[in-house]
Amino acid sequence: MKKLFVILILLVLAACAALGFSDAMSDSASGGTEVKIDPKEIIFEHLGDAYGWELPFAHHRRIPLPIILFGSDGLHCFSSARVAHGHQYKDGDVTFVVPAEGEYKGKCVEIRPDGSVYKPWDISITKNVLALFITILVVLACCFFLVRWYRRNGFKAPRGMLGFMELIVVFIYDGVVKSTLGHNARRFAPYLLTVFMFIFFMNLLGLVVIFPGGANLTGNIAVTMTLAILTFLVTNIFGTKHYWKDIFWPDVPLWLKFPLPIMPMIELFGIFTKPAALTVRLFANMMGGHMIVIVLTLLIFIFTAVGGIMMGGTTAVVSILFSIFMLLIDVLVSFIQAYVFTMLSTIFISLAQEGSEHEHEKHAEHTALPTDK
Amino acid sequence: MELFTPGFGLVFWMFVSFAVLFLILWKYAWPVILKTVDDRAELIDKGVEYAQNAKESLDNAQQQADRIIADARIKEGDILRDAETLKTQIVEQAREEARKEGQKELDAAKLAIQQARKDARQSIRDEVSEFAIKIAEKVLRGEMSDQKAQAKLVNNLLDEIENQN
Repeated sequence: MKKLFVILILLVLAACAALGFSDAMSDSASGGTEVKIDPKEIIFEHLGDAYGWELPFAHHRRIPLPIILFGSDGLHCFSSARVAHGHQYKDGDVTFVVPAEGEYKGKCVEIRPDGSVYKPWDISITKNVLALFITILVVLACCFFLVRWYRRNGFKAPRGMLGFMELIVVFIYDGVVKSTLGHNARRFAPYLLTVFMFIFFMNLLGLVVIFPGGANLTGNIAVTMTLAILTFLVTNIFGTKHYWKDIFWPDVPLWLKFPLPIMPMIELFGIFTKPAALTVRLFANMMGGHMIVIVLTLLIFIFTAVGGIMMGGTTAVVSILFSIFMLLIDVLVSFIQAYVFTMLSTIFISLAQEGSEHEHEKHAEHTALPTDK
Repeated sequence: MELFTPGFGLVFWMFVSFAVLFLILWKYAWPVILKTVDDRAELIDKGVEYAQNAKESLDNAQQQADRIIADARIKEGDILRDAETLKTQIVEQAREEARKEGQKELDAAKLAIQQARKDARQSIRDEVSEFAIKIAEKVLRGEMSDQKAQAKLVNNLLDEIENQN
């Protein structure tokens, strides 16, 4: 009952916020400047990367982040506050600007003295990069708290947050890595567990709407592609002879592989579709979650602009309920997507480890000693 | 579209930071965590096995104890029954012995009584015969005062002996 009351109050507040927005809009309308909502712009701004990190409740006030560029005349490093709001920053001979329109929209470009535009190599610490660093710190902290616990308490099972950490580590290690890879589990577990932790914490931090979180990191194709490439590299570098033979000379009727190598081509194609599938799956799922929440929030403003205060207030209530629901679902999706990525990586790696059991057995027979540990 | 083109900077930092994260965790975190978890699992398995064995042996011990107690009960019964029989036997024997002893005593007493009676009878007879001889002597002394009568008696007696033979 009490909880219901609290929820009701929150909803009324949400409706009031919509009223305030509507008021502000009519004020500015009477003042002559028209406030136009560009939903597409807002959505892509939230989903994409930025040179600054916006503070809560102040859209235009941003935490400045360092911009690092390899321009045509060498390395440039300056604060993003210098190029914010379309300002130009002159460093030596060249001028830097973040154009609001055109081909390089939103990217810092270099304008040479002769007026030509040059796109420098950009390794700025952007919002997403900073979020990446924060995630890494969080993952390291979590893992090392667990390690410290083990060092201090030996075999005592950790409680609370550390217990949860151990739970997910064991869940992934026993449930995914060990059951799929078998005797190779120990070899690939560090990579797979790191991937899982990394994605999981990136996903969760992405759901926190204010400063240390909120970056749409796993919904960025660069991040998912990098992870997929890493899995691709691990899969193929550690692939067995048997795996490569299956690709170039599979066990199919001869006419399927000679003189026209149909099956080898399909198999070769398969090598590259796997990381592509990994990339797109994680990217699309996480981006979709973020997008739905943003769109639901934007609906409030769109409906207020279209249908006035009452309609906006009603939409606010409905939208917020749906947003909460979606965010809760996204918490689940965060885990599921991290799990799926890890599971698929494990499966791809285990497929490339085909035939290694026989060698392993032979090896074990020869040495007659436990090779593991 | 910007959303679908990976930015170079992010890919670069992603590689760098993932490599750092992976190396640190690979070197310092995962071995400790996985080893501890595995060791603990082993420890728990062993503990469970040990507990099961302990329970089993405890159950066995309980059963053994029960069996020993049951055996003891049976033996106790046997011993009690034996004791009962023995008791009856002993009592019976004692009674028998007592009876025999009594009989013996009785017999001895009887014998003694008989002996005594015989002795008594003998002595009475001796005394009586002595008395009779004395009486007869006295009578004979009185009667044999004259010669004639003496001769007559000797004759009579001789006759008698002769007849007897």
